[in-house]
Amino acid sequence: MSSAAGSVAPLGGIRLRVAGRYTTSLAAGVLVCVAGVAASGFHTGFPRRWVLGAGAPNWFDRLDSWVTNNQSSNFFLHTIVGGFSNFLNGTTNDVVSALHWLTWVGVLVIATLLAWLVGRWRTAAFSALMVASFGVLQIPNGGPNGIADMWSSAMTTLALMAVAIVISTIVGIPLGVAAAVWTPVSKTLRPVLDMMQILPAFAYLVPIVVLFSIGNPAGIVATVIYAVPPLVRFTEVGIRTVRRDVIEAAESFGATRRQVLRDVQLPLAAQAILLGLNQVIMMALSIVVIASLVGAGGLGDPVLQALQTQQIGMGAVAGVLIVFMAMWLDRTSGAVGRSRGRAAVAAGRRRLGRRELLAVWAGVLAVVLVSHYGLGLGDWPAGWGFSVVDQVTNGLNWVTTQLAGVSASLSSFLTLQVLNPLQRFLGDFPWWLLAGIVAAAGWLRGGPRRALLLAGCVALLGLMQAPAGYTFQGTTSYDFTAWGDAMQTLSLVIVALALDLVIGIPLGIAAYRWRAVDQALRPILDLLQTLPAFVYLIPVVALFGVGNLAGVTASLVYALPAAVRATTLGLRAVQRDVIEAGQAFGSTRWQLLRKVELPIARPYIGLAVNQTILLVMAEVVVAGLVGAGGLGLDVVTGFSRSEVGLGAAAGLAMVLMGIVLDRLSQSNQTIGGRRE
Amino acid sequence: MTATNGAPGTERVERSGAPLVRVRGVWKIFGPHPERLRGSDDLDLPRGELLAKTGCTIASRDITFDVGRGEVFVIMGLSGSGKSTLVRCITRLVEPTAGDISIGGQDVLGADARTLRELRRTKIAMVFQHFGLFPHRTAIDNVAYGLEVQGVARATRHQRAREILGVVGLSGVENAYPDQLSGGMQQRVGLARALAVDPEVLIFDEAFSALDPLIRREMQDEVLRLQERLQKSVLFVTHDLDEALKIGDRIAIMKDGRFVQVGTPAEIVGAPADDYVREFVRDVPRGKVLTASFAVQPHAGEAPESTVRHDARLGELLPVVFGVQGPIGVVGADDELVGILDRRMVVHILAGREGGTVPEEPAGTPGAA
Repeated sequence: MSSAAGSVAPLGGIRLRVAGRYTTSLAAGVLVCVAGVAASGFHTGFPRRWVLGAGAPNWFDRLDSWVTNNQSSNFFLHTIVGGFSNFLNGTTNDVVSALHWLTWVGVLVIATLLAWLVGRWRTAAFSALMVASFGVLQIPNGGPNGIADMWSSAMTTLALMAVAIVISTIVGIPLGVAAAVWTPVSKTLRPVLDMMQILPAFAYLVPIVVLFSIGNPAGIVATVIYAVPPLVRFTEVGIRTVRRDVIEAAESFGATRRQVLRDVQLPLAAQAILLGLNQVIMMALSIVVIASLVGAGGLGDPVLQALQTQQIGMGAVAGVLIVFMAMWLDRTSGAVGRSRGRAAVAAGRRRLGRRELLAVWAGVLAVVLVSHYGLGLGDWPAGWGFSVVDQVTNGLNWVTTQLAGVSASLSSFLTLQVLNPLQRFLGDFPWWLLAGIVAAAGWLRGGPRRALLLAGCVALLGLMQAPAGYTFQGTTSYDFTAWGDAMQTLSLVIVALALDLVIGIPLGIAAYRWRAVDQALRPILDLLQTLPAFVYLIPVVALFGVGNLAGVTASLVYALPAAVRATTLGLRAVQRDVIEAGQAFGSTRWQLLRKVELPIARPYIGLAVNQTILLVMAEVVVAGLVGAGGLGLDVVTGFSRSEVGLGAAAGLAMVLMGIVLDRLSQSNQTIGGRRE
Repeated sequence: MTATNGAPGTERVERSGAPLVRVRGVWKIFGPHPERLRGSDDLDLPRGELLAKTGCTIASRDITFDVGRGEVFVIMGLSGSGKSTLVRCITRLVEPTAGDISIGGQDVLGADARTLRELRRTKIAMVFQHFGLFPHRTAIDNVAYGLEVQGVARATRHQRAREILGVVGLSGVENAYPDQLSGGMQQRVGLARALAVDPEVLIFDEAFSALDPLIRREMQDEVLRLQERLQKSVLFVTHDLDEALKIGDRIAIMKDGRFVQVGTPAEIVGAPADDYVREFVRDVPRGKVLTASFAVQPHAGEAPESTVRHDARLGELLPVVFGVQGPIGVVGADDELVGILDRRMVVHILAGREGGTVPEEPAGTPGAA
């Protein structure tokens, strides 16, 4: 049986491909029929009376109250969760105290020195500048001159990140090594990691709060969950891609498995692992600031407050500080990867000897001791700084006024002509037809199992909504229609995705085609990719106010770099001789692109679509913070009204949506059958 | 030189006692459930049909050969013929499906992990096609690696590594990293790394294929020079016939996982076992490979006017063939007369018209002492 299936496989592949050619026209045809059906008064959506049990918000409310009631008696909750929570809290506080003890001079010196050790003078100077900005750029507050610095917030963010990153490393690297060494571990981990990477962080904030309650520990746990998968992946891939013959050489000299791992695989994977660590740091920063939603302190707090109170100028300054922190951490941790290896040595970079290093650190210690005890320094001196909040606010106001006409008409066009009709269409779309279409598309992409999974997700999405006006412990709760909210989110995703692809793919092609475009885009994309998701919300709110337009724009910009880069990368991967062959037959540039380069790069562009969808979805739900409707808004509302059930149910709905969107956009034949 | 009759290499009379590497009936089958193929008729299916029917590919089929001490045994075949897999089976970098292998009397396939490791550490060393150097280690640390895993102290192993780097002509680049060295130098490091553990058996897996022709020739000469001095047992895998003829004491021609012919270079060129080998050796300059013993006819008592040695290359005999009028005698290793040189045959062979004109068996069995 198995061998028969094996020999049939190629045939199946051919069938699939033939089917693939007609997929688009088929889908279009189906859509037209369905539009007809829907327009002819088939206003169904998902029947509100079909609710699984008491509805998802209810399940989570019960779970939450169970947790609350058993917090002190249940062994797991009390000893394990509670103990871990206390440990996280204690450690974070210790790190915060340590950073304060170092005094601002100590932090500045250490940051600069670290950057210098791993990078160049320029990296060091840049780091010093960025760190100093935490003190210099101030916001209006109860300080002596009416302004106060954000040094303390920055230190809290750093401490949270440090704890989260250390935990991520302790969990992630051994898991990655285990996955590289034992294939069963890898096979078990893969779907779990896949799942974790699909989820928008918003989806698990609420469940974490149920377990850990509001505070720093919840923020750290959310950060670790978000940041671990790439580290595991990078470690595993780094070890697995060590050249086979190099390992064989070690084996042929009788090296034990451990010796091979220690002498060959780990050192050669170090670059990849460091790259993973760099990613972890950036992802951690991105979540640590969002985690102010669950009560984690730090730089995210003023941004959140600013968004909630519409003080955009203050939000912008706090956002800029987050960006500075991101750039500082990215430069420094990125330089670690580059400073290793011989390229750096060959470039004439001198490594300090052990004794010199010792002397340098002794010097640092002396500086810290003198600043702390001798000079009695502490946090950033209150007077050393200025506030640009008013200027920024005025500037933004000016821009907003100038753009008022444009943004208002854009906003009303998008809302009235695009989003609303789309939302109405999707909301009224017969659920069984949608499930059928999704299942059919899933079948074409990944066979019957995927079809079943997707149809199941769609059905469950409908079934888990709350019964109309459901009450929990006497209070009537927020009305949760999972189906309607998911369709609202979906309409935002569709619009942002469409714009992303329309803008991103041509930009990617242009960057491939013209060096100048590439060079102009690169720093912009680099910067955009370093920014935490949270930060995108500030400028769009300033420009478009709160609402769906802000959400779509933020998501569009957030996901754009992925669309551009994957396209360029795919085109660059086309082999030189294939292109030369095309040229040799006299293709025009356009023919070459259309007939050779784009078809060969198709798997990458497919990957671009997949990545863009996931990023758009992640940002669309975060944009709930600025009033973009749908599931994200449910989570935000859940938090602001302390309705755990609502937030958690919306989170679960995001999970289901994420799975559907990911599996629909990801075919079985992506590059090497594996997604990275 | 010793000889076989073109049949599998076991009938060979060893130079000194028992063979060092002894391989008997080794099979390697890739794919699910190779044991089901044992004794089945499917074994005779062509490659594609076998794969379609069972999902299996046979990389080595019933391979048997010996390598004596100090002998260079070449396994030659085109890509996909199974030669690299076969040498990997010998140290179990690839686990053979069936068969019997021993090295210096030590059973390899029955060895437990520890014994196998010991064997790899001390008895055998390998030189790889793409060098297999550790990119994160300097040349000297690459060379010292084999000693390092044996637990040799740093100072000792570095001293040894430095010596060996000198032997292969690489003094002065001890602290360079592999990617700072040229291809030829990298493979010298690979060679030094193998020599550093003073193994009894050296395996070259297409070691020079990635080098350009000039460097390749240089490396071949280097191996011959070192072999003169060190007298290792060498298993040399290549797809290059010229290289095989130049380096090998004996050559095994491999096709589809099978040895098609095993013999000395002269036997391979002078008496190809089948059309496949014949096609292979067609363009070999025969005068440089074939010896007088390929053109001997029995002597009828006439007194030779001049004599040549049985192992003289035919190409070098032309002055004698055309310069001497009377019969030319061919003498063996002890100067005894083994026959008369067949002039017509010499010309035929040199003209490449080997076909049916060359006797199935060379008239003399040179050096069968």
